[in-house]
Amino acid sequence: MGIVSWLKRRRLDEQDFQDEIRAHLAIAEQERIEDGADRRSARYAALKEFGNVTLTTEAARRVWTPGWLEALRDIVSDVRYAIRALRKNPGFSLTVVAVLTLGIGLNAMVFTMLKGLALSPLGGVARSAQLRVLYRQTNTGRTVRVSYPDYQYLRDHNQAFTSLMGSAYFDMNLGRGRGARQIFGELVTGNYFQVLGVRAQLGRTLLPSDEIAPGRHPVVVISDGLWRRDFGADPDIVGKTIEVNNYRLTIVGVADPAFHGTIVSYDVEAFVPVMMASQIGIGARNPGNVSSDPITDRRYGLLFPEGHLRPGVTAATAAAQMEAMWATVSLDRPLTEATQSLRLVPFWRAPTGAQTYMMPTLVVMIAMGLLVLIIACANIAGLVLVRGLSRRGEIAVRLALGASRTRIVRLLLVENFVLAIPGAALGIVLAQQAIPMFVQYADWLAVPARLFFNVDLDRTSVAFAVLAGCGSALVFGFVPALQTTRVDLVTVINEDASPRGAARSRLRGLLVIAQVAVSLLLLVGAGLVWRSLEAARRTNPGFDPDSVAAVAVDLAQNRYDDARGRVFYRKLLDAARADAGVESATLSAFTPLGFLDTPPTRVTIEGYEPRRGEDLIFMSNTIASDYFRTLRINVIAGRPFEEREDEQSEPVVMVNDTLARRFWGSAANALGKRLRVADREWRTVVGVAADVKYSKINEPPRPYFYLPFLQAYRSDMILQTRGSAPIHVLIDQARARVAALDGDLPILTARPLRELTQGAFLFYRLAAFMLFLFGTAGMALAALGTYGLVSYTVKQSTHEIGIRIALGATARSVVRHVLARGVRLGATGIAVGAIAAFGVGRLLRTVLFGVSTTDPASFAGALALVLGSVILATLIPAWRASRIDALRALRHQ
Amino acid sequence: MTLDARSDSRADLLHGTLDMLILRTLQWGPQHGYAIGQTIRAQSSDVLQVEAGSLYPALQRLAKKGWVTAKWGQTEAHQRAKFYRLTPDGKKQLLREESRWAELVKAISRVMSPAPGPGTEE
Repeated sequence: MGIVSWLKRRRLDEQDFQDEIRAHLAIAEQERIEDGADRRSARYAALKEFGNVTLTTEAARRVWTPGWLEALRDIVSDVRYAIRALRKNPGFSLTVVAVLTLGIGLNAMVFTMLKGLALSPLGGVARSAQLRVLYRQTNTGRTVRVSYPDYQYLRDHNQAFTSLMGSAYFDMNLGRGRGARQIFGELVTGNYFQVLGVRAQLGRTLLPSDEIAPGRHPVVVISDGLWRRDFGADPDIVGKTIEVNNYRLTIVGVADPAFHGTIVSYDVEAFVPVMMASQIGIGARNPGNVSSDPITDRRYGLLFPEGHLRPGVTAATAAAQMEAMWATVSLDRPLTEATQSLRLVPFWRAPTGAQTYMMPTLVVMIAMGLLVLIIACANIAGLVLVRGLSRRGEIAVRLALGASRTRIVRLLLVENFVLAIPGAALGIVLAQQAIPMFVQYADWLAVPARLFFNVDLDRTSVAFAVLAGCGSALVFGFVPALQTTRVDLVTVINEDASPRGAARSRLRGLLVIAQVAVSLLLLVGAGLVWRSLEAARRTNPGFDPDSVAAVAVDLAQNRYDDARGRVFYRKLLDAARADAGVESATLSAFTPLGFLDTPPTRVTIEGYEPRRGEDLIFMSNTIASDYFRTLRINVIAGRPFEEREDEQSEPVVMVNDTLARRFWGSAANALGKRLRVADREWRTVVGVAADVKYSKINEPPRPYFYLPFLQAYRSDMILQTRGSAPIHVLIDQARARVAALDGDLPILTARPLRELTQGAFLFYRLAAFMLFLFGTAGMALAALGTYGLVSYTVKQSTHEIGIRIALGATARSVVRHVLARGVRLGATGIAVGAIAAFGVGRLLRTVLFGVSTTDPASFAGALALVLGSVILATLIPAWRASRIDALRALRHQ
Repeated sequence: MTLDARSDSRADLLHGTLDMLILRTLQWGPQHGYAIGQTIRAQSSDVLQVEAGSLYPALQRLAKKGWVTAKWGQTEAHQRAKFYRLTPDGKKQLLREESRWAELVKAISRVMSPAPGPGTEE
């Protein structure tokens, strides 16, 4: 059998079949003519006997059609019908699509953030969410990196990981002179790229052979971004050199374009073999200025080991195994520091990177996003229900003509999917527009550091949006569709009020209540977070960040030695202080409220015996004279550092109030007492400063101390000047002073101090903004939903209201009647929402600051807003009801 | 035409019977559609009137299953017509249908007119 006839066999041969029917008719006609009928009546009788030709052909065709093809054809015709029906009702269709776009867009946005932080946090790395990270934790909960010797031991002896790599990020200075800049770099083990599965687009990646001997591997792999920005995508880049922290490294490869390192939110640009740690000055940067070799020193926390677990090894087994190994290591070669444990966590809980700070905020945003989607669904369900009721006539006719209920429910569902797909598509577009705004804001905060978030909308995001859309369509379409098909034919035809009308109005009422309740919940959340932001802004951080310019430099970038550096900074301070409009000027290593903790240092207090396992490690700052005056921090006992406190004079230290009170009872008592920083010389406390918010606005008071700059020289310092001159003038003056002293010295940062403290408010601001958006969207949707459903009720009861008016009801009493019904529903929704808000307020605690979860102002505000919008949404239809023409309303029947 | 499941199974029974009648009719040689309808009607003494709306889809069904083949030809009155012929498979199928039918008739008649069994008292 030939292929053509085989194909023909698969379907009805239409031409042949029609021929056959014609032949049949001809034979039948002929027979009648032979029986004596005339031609015309014979033909007529034959046709009549044959019956419906179209139906017969259809039945014959169906014999050949497979079941699935027939179902598909039905669905296509349903879709076509749905599109036609929706086009006839553009107001309804556009509203539904708009509501869905909002609901799905917000959720796609939040989902994409979740993807960028937890589900697929690293660009260019497959299965990055499944990476597991090891770190040390002290008994006080402080996170410590793992030393290189310990990493080696764990790598070589564990049974849990397929392969264990180690990495650590550092700020690195790239280049020298005017063109130098600070980048994020990672110090990595030789198997780093293999474990991550990242390839080089040019040259090679780092290999285990780059991890043989300390100082012997002066190579580097650079990121695609660095290659393009600094080298104009030079194809002959391999073999050229770059200077990292003044050490020359040969470029051996350019990493895959999608790869941005393993620190979420940081755009890492250089990958340096761990063996080069000392050469690029990592050990020398040890806080407290104790040099150590990070490759051999077990007390130098250098790396975060990471890797994939072997197939079949569960997280619990692996954790137990690593714990046991750690116990062995600690027993064999105990560390003198406080008790530590080795922790194994999934990547999204890793102690570095944005995921750690963002997660609590994100969890709240996910919950809020879902609430918005619920409102959107309830809203559309209301619209579909109302539309279904006004389509009762059409559906009744279909039922009367014999359409089955399943068939009609399917048609209505198809209609919802037809609406859901453009909703999902537009939602994706919305998210696509909105996400870059957040990224830009974060970028602005981080300048000059480069950030990277893996938040492009990829297949997962799109799949999520489509799924959310279809899920919504099922939810908002199913109940009303079932309701609609339960049409009582007699009722519809008589246009009579039916007992079933009561059930439908109950469903409408429930939809209004649900929307109002959820929008109240959202607004309470938004209010709480908003008030947190206000509280955070109002909180006195202990210093005054306004009218202060901050200009950061690192003399190491121009190879200053200590002596020259001291001279440089002394001259810089003198010059800055001489500027017109400058009240005071100072230097410090860090600025307060900088969001991230600065490296802490171990401290010994004279005469204080630490309890077993007590962790005396505190953050500190290195400052020049006039620091407290410039930042307006109170010195509450003793005196601030003075110019004369230099390397020749007696070692001194200042502490904060919390440290003074913890060890000596009071600030005054602390004066004259002594402490040691990192086992070096004893320092005498000369002054006690008031507490400051050192990293975050919501941190508890913590011990802190200050070292005088000239006794604890560092090459990287921040010049801060306070003055009455406008802030940009102050900044320009400070820049000019640096340039006048060394025109080749790169300026790392030059910004108002106020801007440098913005990071501390970032999450309140982000949460407040998002929740505000969600709350407003929710409220608008709820108002729209209430309006729609109340309007509909009014329309339905035109007859009843007409009777009331005819019997003498005034416009006011009609308004009151309609309003009472709407407000009753609204009040019920508000009550439900308020109870829910009391219940779930606790979940917000992680993102709140300075307000209680039952803050009356937030509740009252949300209540007023929701009640106001419900009343407004009811008033319009109520007013319309009062203008009903009684005669016309009654004549209708 | 309805998609109702119950009417489908009812239709199956009818289809099956009609198919059997057609196969039976073709046992005596090839025939065209009109003649098949006429034959069934005549043989059943005008009791079974096969409508064209059922007959032609049934013929398509049988052709699809490979029980009959069709070929255009001429009637005795020199009119063009499509003649259906039983295939060997169709013959086997007819035998199966006939025995199933006989079983069915026996079963039905047992129900409708039970013969007095042993031990039954009148």
